[in-house]
Parts: sequence; C-alpha cells; structure tokens
Amino acid sequence: MNKGSLDRWALGVLAVVLLVLPFTVTGYVLYVVNLLMVFVVLALGLHVVIGEAGQFALSHTAFYGIGIYTAGLVNTAWHPPFIVSILAGGALAALLGYVIGLLALRMRDIYLALATFAFGEAMQWVFLNWDKVTGGSNGMRMQPAQLFGYQLTNDLQAFPFVVGGAALMLWLTVALSRSQYGSALRAVRESDVAALAMGINVKRMKQTAFAISAAFAGIAGGLYTLFTSFIHPESLGFQTTILVLTMVVVGGIGSVRGAVAGAIAFGLISELLRQALSIQEVIYGAILMGFMMFKPKGLFADREVKRTRAAGGSHG
Amino acid sequence: MSFSDIWLFLQQGVLSGLVTGSVYALLAIAIVTVFKTTDVPNFSQGEIFMAGGYVALMGLLVFKLSYALVIPLTLAVMAGVGALFQRFVMERVTGSRGVGVQLVIATLGLAYLLKGLVRQTGLGDTPRSLPSLVGDGAVIIGDAALTRLDVVIFVVSVAVMLLLYAMFNRTRIGKAMRAVGMNPKGAQIVGINLSRIRILVWALSGLISALAALLITPKILITPDIAHIAILAYAAAIVGGFTSLPGAVLGGFIIGIVENLVGLFISTNAIVVAPFLAILVTLIVRPQGILGGKPQVKKV
Repeated sequence: MNKGSLDRWALGVLAVVLLVLPFTVTGYVLYVVNLLMVFVVLALGLHVVIGEAGQFALSHTAFYGIGIYTAGLVNTAWHPPFIVSILAGGALAALLGYVIGLLALRMRDIYLALATFAFGEAMQWVFLNWDKVTGGSNGMRMQPAQLFGYQLTNDLQAFPFVVGGAALMLWLTVALSRSQYGSALRAVRESDVAALAMGINVKRMKQTAFAISAAFAGIAGGLYTLFTSFIHPESLGFQTTILVLTMVVVGGIGSVRGAVAGAIAFGLISELLRQALSIQEVIYGAILMGFMMFKPKGLFADREVKRTRAAGGSHG
Repeated sequence: MSFSDIWLFLQQGVLSGLVTGSVYALLAIAIVTVFKTTDVPNFSQGEIFMAGGYVALMGLLVFKLSYALVIPLTLAVMAGVGALFQRFVMERVTGSRGVGVQLVIATLGLAYLLKGLVRQTGLGDTPRSLPSLVGDGAVIIGDAALTRLDVVIFVVSVAVMLLLYAMFNRTRIGKAMRAVGMNPKGAQIVGINLSRIRILVWALSGLISALAALLITPKILITPDIAHIAILAYAAAIVGGFTSLPGAVLGGFIIGIVENLVGLFISTNAIVVAPFLAILVTLIVRPQGILGGKPQVKKV
C-alpha cells in the first residue's frame, strides 16, 4: 500500500469516527475533540512556517491569542455570523505575522527563535495588562457565537463547525504544499541563495509564510471561541508554543500528516495528564528527549526522498 | 519627584542592580559557554538553576545536613546533571544530525523533566528560601542601603567570574574549551578530545548554575516556576553578545540595573516585559550584541 492510499484510509477512518462521535459520547469528550481540532489547525500553521519555509518561529501562541481575543471582541460588539469574527481574527493575525516576518529577513535559526520567543512573551504581557480590552488578569468572558440566529451554546452544537473548519484548513495546507508556492517555500528552506538564484523572491516568501502561519493560528483561535466562553492569558504563554512545536517536530518536520498526527497525539497526552501536573511534566520531558535521541526526524519523516527522486528521475 | 529623590533612586537602583545583575551574569556565562562549545541554546538553563536551589533545600530541610556539606553536594549534583545530559542525551541528538529545532526541544525535555521531578518532591508546594549564612545588618554605600547578603552575593559572583577568566586564559582545560568554541575541527586535530571537553563544559555550566542558585536563594523565595529568571540571563547574554563571555558579564549587569531602575522609575509591572523588549531591540538593532564582534557571514 503506498502512502497516498494509506492517507485516504486514515482520513476515511477519521471521518467515520468524527461522524459517529456526536451521537455516542458525552459533552466532555466532544470538548476534547473540539480542542484537538484547534490543535490540528495550530500545528498546520506552525508546519507552514517551520516545516515548509524552514523559519524557526516561536511566536505561534501570540497569533493564536490575537485570534481568540479578536473573534471574542468582534462577536461581543456586533454579533456577526461567527464566520466573520473568525476571519477578522485570522486577518489581524496575518497582518501582524507579516510584520513579524520582517525579523526573518534579518536573522535566522536560533536568533530568529529567540527574537520570536521574545515577541510571543511580550504579547502575553499585553494580553495580561491591556485591561480595558482583554480584561487583563481577570480573563475575558465571551458570548456564544451565532450563525444567522442559530446560537452555539455547547460543545455539541459547535462540533460540526469546528471539525469543518479544521478539515478546510487541512485541505488548504495540502493545496498550499502541492502548489508552486509550496515548492518555492521549500526551496527557501533548503537554501536562501539557491532559491534566490532561481528567481524566487526570498524576502516575500519568508514574510508571506509568516503571515499564512499567523492566519492559521488566528483562525484556530477563532474556532476555539466557538466552544468556549472564557479566556485567560495564562494559557497563552510559551507552554502552548512548546506544545504545538512538539506536535510538529515529533510528528515529523515538513510533513502534513506528521503535523496532524502529532497534534492529535500530544493534544490527547496533554489533556489526559492535566490533572497530574508533575507526572505530566516528567513524562512529557522524557518523551521529548527520547524522540530527539532516537527519532529526531519525527514519526513521519518526509521529503528526504525528494532529492533522490529528483536525481533519479523516476516516479511522478 | 525631586532631584534628590531621583539621585537616591539612581544610586539604589544601580547598586541593587549590580547585585541581582551579578547572578544574571553567572547564568548568562553558563548559557554562553555551552552555546559556544556545543552550539546548543540551553532552554533548560532556568530549570537547572531551579533544581540547584531545590537540591540545596532538600539537603538542608529533608536530610538535615549542614551547610558545609550542602554547598559542595549541590555543586557536584548539578555538575553531574549537566555532564550526564551532555554525555547521554545531547551527544546522541547531535550525533543523529540534530539541528537547531531538535537541540532546542531536547533541552526543553530536560527542563520539563527537572521541573516535574522537583514538583514530585513536594518541596515546591510552598515558596521557600534557604537560611542565610550572614547576618541581617545593612551596609550603607552613598545614600543607598544593601543587606550584608547582597554584598556577599556580589563579591562571590565577581570572584567566581575572575576565577573563570583565569581558567579560560591560563589553564590547559580552559584553553581547550575556548579552542573547541572557536574551531572544533582544528581543536580535534591538535589532539583535544571534543566529547570530553563538551561534557566538561556542561558540567561547568551546571556548577555555575548551582552556585547562582546557592547565592540568590537565601535572598528570594523560590518555587519550581522560578526558572523564568533564566529569561533575564538570556536577555543578558543577548545584549552582551551571544558568543562573548565578557559580554555576558556586561549584559548581566546592564539587565540587573535596568530591571531595578525600571522598577523604581516606571512600574513593577513593566519589569516583566523589559527583558523581552531588550532581546527584541538588541536582535533587531545590533544582533551581535555589545561585545559580540562582527557578525559572522556563513558561505553557502
């Protein structure tokens, strides 16, 4: 069985599970599945900037937070159909992502990681201290999202929209990865100079990769507002960035299926171990070190094949 | 605020800043030595520091050992943790062609592990500090007041920095560490055992972190989340120049003083965000930091 048909099987099974779930399980399980879908979108977004474009960014949670607050505030102020609030969050995140992408033009690797990390932490500080807008350390209550009068008041009602949103973002990621734009991004990842020599506008590629990645995070934030009614800046710190980074890296840097599998696996682990903080940290630390020692390329290591393929000229 | 108030605040801010700054400088040195010799940005620096504090607390409170035993024990344990981590984890990660992201995640793994283990002991449930070895008396310098403990922290830190300086410039092992940092291949050719030096560097960094913990823990209350103090050390290392040891010291003092002045003149709330702004601004305006020298241009 080749990878393509395996993917179709995996997607098929996932679809069936998601279809049956709402009729069989309790609200809490649906909440967890909703949350996993948000993580899938977050991981896909980080995949775009790290996996495809090769830019080591640690600011993902900042854009996620912008998505949550924007969607929540737009919804409270005007009660538009929730699609509008989600897109507003995505757009604002994308805009800021484009600006933060400027950092990638000046630095790379660990320096880029540190600069984006600093930006992420500074944004968390803004969420914590901009009392008038975000409610500061009291957190912010959000009203139920609605679509033409139909209110989403619980996890079950939000479920189809959250899953649909995640599926749409997955489709977009695959399309992006297969497009000429995706190839250009990977060229930038492999070598700035070689990409430049091929006529690729490296600066624009890096900045748009940041913007797209941020848009994904913003939309993930919007989806989150569909099934939750409260947000606190505490949950928008470096921890969350590490969680999403782990999903992408352990799943397999550069692999879309890796990002999805990693998001589901680590989303579940972090939710299951939430009650036992110290055990969670020990297990989590051991998993991170173990994977980096024995399987540093992640579960779905990928793309390495590409070069030999290009050299050999076989396969399509 | 009158002029004399400002003058008083300035003196107090600078002196207090030198004290906390000396601890940041030690931690920044730990970060920079590891980065220079192994290319690993150690994201577990804060947790190693925190674990050092808890090893000491455990020795004193649980095993009722005396300070004379606890100090060498803490230094040895944390040096051991650093050495073991490099020998059994990082060597393997770099060996399997680990690059930036993988290295960072492996150190984050250690960070989580240490934090979880410390929480398991139960000591971290309430904020604690080490008993101070020196009396409470105040020392007046100019118009500003420091505690005796502050003076001890500063003096010991500076003494350690001088010792490290002598080690890196006078001893064979120190020179070997510098050589590995400058050019690993060249160092190997002249007969330096790379793997051994890297293990020693991690041990040294663990030792310095433990020392920093021993110095500052009598002054502040610690919890397992105190690890975030390492962010200030990171800011110090970056402001000074991420590959420069004198830069790390300078950066430590700058961050310490700025932190105190921001607290006195602006607000305690702004202290939290100051290091991130320092990191961002430095990386944007002068990525090589104050003493980092010319940025290296890598050929393709």
